[in-house]
Amino acid sequence: MKILIVEDEKSLTDSVVEYLSEEGHICEAVYNFNDAIEKLEFYDYDCIVVDINLPDGSGLDIIRHVKKASKSSGIIIISARNSLENRIEGIEIGADNYLTKPFHLAELNAHLKSINRRINFNGNEHIIYNEIKILLSEHAVFVNDKEVKLTKKEFELLVFFVSNKNKVITKSGLAEHLWGDYMDMADSFDFLYTHIKNLRGKLLKEGCTDYIKTVYGVGYKFDIS
Amino acid sequence: MKLLTKTSLNYLSVTLFVFMFGTIAFYFLLRHQVNQNINTEMEKRKSNIVNQLLSVHTSVYTPSNQNEKVIITPLNEVPAPQLNFNDTIFFVKNESKYVPFRQLCFITEFNNTKYYIQIFKSLEETDNLIVRIFLIMTLLVFLIITALLITVRHTSLRSWNVFYDTIKKIKNYDINLHNEFSLKESDVKEFDDLNKVLIAMTERIKKDYSNMKEYTENASHEIQTPLSIINMKMELLLQSQNLDEKQLKAVADAYEASNRLSKLNKTLLLLAKIENRQFPESKSINPQEIINSQLENLEDLIFDKKINVIKHFDEITTLTLNPFLAEILFSNLVKNAIRHNTNGGDLIIKTSQNNIIISNSGSELKIDKASIFERFNKQSSNPESTGLGLAIVQKICEVYGYKVNYDFENNLHHFVIDFSNFK
Repeated sequence: MKILIVEDEKSLTDSVVEYLSEEGHICEAVYNFNDAIEKLEFYDYDCIVVDINLPDGSGLDIIRHVKKASKSSGIIIISARNSLENRIEGIEIGADNYLTKPFHLAELNAHLKSINRRINFNGNEHIIYNEIKILLSEHAVFVNDKEVKLTKKEFELLVFFVSNKNKVITKSGLAEHLWGDYMDMADSFDFLYTHIKNLRGKLLKEGCTDYIKTVYGVGYKFDIS
Repeated sequence: MKLLTKTSLNYLSVTLFVFMFGTIAFYFLLRHQVNQNINTEMEKRKSNIVNQLLSVHTSVYTPSNQNEKVIITPLNEVPAPQLNFNDTIFFVKNESKYVPFRQLCFITEFNNTKYYIQIFKSLEETDNLIVRIFLIMTLLVFLIITALLITVRHTSLRSWNVFYDTIKKIKNYDINLHNEFSLKESDVKEFDDLNKVLIAMTERIKKDYSNMKEYTENASHEIQTPLSIINMKMELLLQSQNLDEKQLKAVADAYEASNRLSKLNKTLLLLAKIENRQFPESKSINPQEIINSQLENLEDLIFDKKINVIKHFDEITTLTLNPFLAEILFSNLVKNAIRHNTNGGDLIIKTSQNNIIISNSGSELKIDKASIFERFNKQSSNPESTGLGLAIVQKICEVYGYKVNYDFENNLHHFVIDFSNFK
């Protein structure tokens, strides 16, 4: 996917570019409003990751510009301001997602994957990975063509793992993906442990390889190596 | 006691005291004055009588006037002659009552005989006069006092009205409501000064407060950007293949710590926002629906802990509050009830017209019941717990005027949200 990142904090942008490039995306970064508009005049992007507070303008205006040019690009807002109004306004003018800083790179990556599926496969894509087949729209998972009954959270967890294959995903990254920003971490870690235990158990029961590896003291990794 | 009542009472007691003694003194002065008059009149009479005796040679003189009487007796017939002015009482036959008289006794010589002469003058009429004057005076005094009191009270009340208005407005003033703080103008200088000072003060406080709020919010937001950088760099570092286990653990620990910091920051910011009532828009909320969706969200955990969920959604209740806050409120309570539940324990949710009770099994807490909602009060030493979950619950309830209580009974922890006052 071709991605434009509009964010004035350079070292933050670098991290995003590095993580996403490793995932095989083509990333371009600009650090202000005018450069972003200029880039958008000449090139098309599959997805635009945009900060709202830019030194010379508002990220919301960039979104309006994109939507006016009726480009089909996916849009993810990243903002330090977790304000409900901004979020609602952003979604209303056509953004796909709103991430509050600090966010996990794995989370951004998962959102990009989902936008990619929406744009290129109308959201009906099957994720097939070795013996695992995930039907996204039906919320169904098959291992060796046998259906595995997963709960909602287990399903979300599996999709998140598959979206971030071979990456170490921290506990807090997973917990925030499942529960959002305002859950006490102590709660979420307990809960997370339960979910992963159950998910792993269900997959192993159907003869699936044990892809979900515990990285001791850090988190988990969907290891395909 | 109100200042006005106090001054009125003081004023009243002082005037009553002064006028009471004043009227008594007035009575005696009047009495004295009248006696003086009568005395002089009688003195005149005396000289008249002497003259008449000398000229008329009559031994007893009785004037036609009922109010006056003169008795002349030879001195040797009087056993103990009294001289000078005296008061005495006579029984007056035609009026059939005792009447006070003023008496003047003197001795005069006539034809070498000494006579004892008594002049009596009725005091009845003068006494009546005095009483009448006295009554009129008293009435007048009371009229004056009442009139003064009414005037003073009326004018004071009008002036103090401004003051009471000010007090009422200050009492109802809420710096978070951002409404205009205006006070009535007064024609009393002191009150006008007071109001001006108060307006200036609230303006300053408002400004300071909003500056501080802005500062806190900006600081919190500004902290998020460097935290994002730290987090991302470490997340990238974690992906690195050439870290040994020890290094990986160190990075992960640092990562979790900075994550905790940013979470804490976010949560404190949320608390501040709730406190500042920055979630104004309210909707009609069905708590049962929210609780059901939370239970669905947490079904795996409920299943895993073999928790027995008992719902008593007997009465359908609706609450009016911000949807986002409603979700946080109930999800915090439900999560709390699941996390601190025992394996195979109960989770009982009761909703009624006046309250919602969420109860879960567990052992008694070591900490004080009242302090359970305090910020950073954790009963476990779990470092990952922010200790803010129940503080948020309480803050939300406070903003909407609900009461939230914790109780422990029959091995059950009860959290009660009482909104009966609110309805």
